[in-house]
Amino acid sequence: MIHLIIAVTIGGIAMLNAAVFWFMPCLTRRDLYFAVTVPPGFRDQSQGISILRRYRMELILLSVLALVAFVTGIAWFGVGFVSVGPLVQVAASFIAFYRARLRVLPYAVQPTMIREAELHGHNRIIPGGWMAALGPFILLIACAAYLWFHGRETSGPFTSANGHEWARGPWGAAGQPDALGGYALTAYLISTAGILVAFTLILYGLAHWVRPVYAGGPERARELKFRRTVSAILLAAEYYITIQASWIVLVPRRGDLATAGLLALAFVFALVTIVVLARLGQGGSRMPAGDRARVASSAVPVGDRTPDRYWKLGIFYFNPDDSAVLVEKRFGLGYSLNFARPTAWIILLLILMAALIPILAHLTRFLHKFGV
Amino acid sequence: MLRIDLASRVPVYEQIANGLRTELVSGKFSPGAKLPTVRTLAINLGVHHNTVAEAYRQLASEGWLELKRHHGALVRERDRPQAGPDAMERFSRPLRELVAKGLAEGLSPGSLAREMIETAQKLEGER
Repeated sequence: MIHLIIAVTIGGIAMLNAAVFWFMPCLTRRDLYFAVTVPPGFRDQSQGISILRRYRMELILLSVLALVAFVTGIAWFGVGFVSVGPLVQVAASFIAFYRARLRVLPYAVQPTMIREAELHGHNRIIPGGWMAALGPFILLIACAAYLWFHGRETSGPFTSANGHEWARGPWGAAGQPDALGGYALTAYLISTAGILVAFTLILYGLAHWVRPVYAGGPERARELKFRRTVSAILLAAEYYITIQASWIVLVPRRGDLATAGLLALAFVFALVTIVVLARLGQGGSRMPAGDRARVASSAVPVGDRTPDRYWKLGIFYFNPDDSAVLVEKRFGLGYSLNFARPTAWIILLLILMAALIPILAHLTRFLHKFGV
Repeated sequence: MLRIDLASRVPVYEQIANGLRTELVSGKFSPGAKLPTVRTLAINLGVHHNTVAEAYRQLASEGWLELKRHHGALVRERDRPQAGPDAMERFSRPLRELVAKGLAEGLSPGSLAREMIETAQKLEGER
């Protein structure tokens, strides 16, 4: 059962990833093509169409190769190779993107140097304000406090032989004890707290560290709507992660809680997020027909108002002259970090720590088991 | 809405001052209204805060703004000033350059005159 769940999840992620990369070039601003600023209307010209067609062919080919490598990896290294699957596919998709970018670069042009700013009004970015953002932390602390006082009463297969470790939880996604999720609850809670802190930092960043729109009128209104939606989704993700984490850590205490549907729920959440953001369109990528005609006929591309040279490989933004920590992605939806800012590295470190703590905890237990 | 062109040869502080003056002349800000702080406007335009501060100082010296430490820039009640003897000269010098640019680009003198009258009437009408 557990292997079936994992296989379906990984397969779903792979398909979702392939679909996202397939449509990605159509989701960005009209005058940004494969992370390069191009003349308005370039993507509708023969060169643009040809580059897109070749990108998609390479994407299919490389995805199939990645799938073969993935299956071979599982055959050789066992089920532990499963988590590498999406990474292999993303790497393959990135190669296709990078090759397309190289083909677009000869058509690169300078973006507009015109900037606009509204003099009136204040825009509230975080829905519900900071009180809403505190909710997940309160829930997680309440859950940890409950386990602190009642965890020792946990009996049965969830506790270890010495019985004193309230924070022991070797169970899997099916809600039954196994070796897959076998690391301490403390590590799980700290990891979740790390993710929450990172998400809250990004939420704060969307209100204070993100690059200004530099535009007025409908373009500004659309972009601000996109930012508010991203904030709402981030907040929803925080609540979702916390509720899921609280649910999982309570399994040893309440053995009747089922966790089998949680992975599927996470997949649905990711899918809905992508669809909502793609429909909304970042930076006016889904602007009304009238506005689109205006952009297509304007002589100078607006782009994202940053020169191409600051985008390393098309995905990493490094601009010491830009005070913004978060900037609009050039390929994909959402925001990227300005790696010239120390704050960006702190956010990255937090996310990495949150991901690494469970792995390190698992590794420590594994080494301890073999007396290392 | 304020609009600047970083590629223009006109200094950015001057562009900001010109843009704000247009808003003030058209009466979009009533006396006592607050303009965005220097820091906010600098961030929103992606320019150094000294550039915005310079524009605010220029408008303050013209009597449009009152600059208060920690309170930002307030729009002042300002009567229509009596034009001095050299006011027209100060106005016509850049205008000559602008008209020459328009003619060089193929616009007719009549259309330029019409545009100028319409713009002045529009600004005056918005007050």
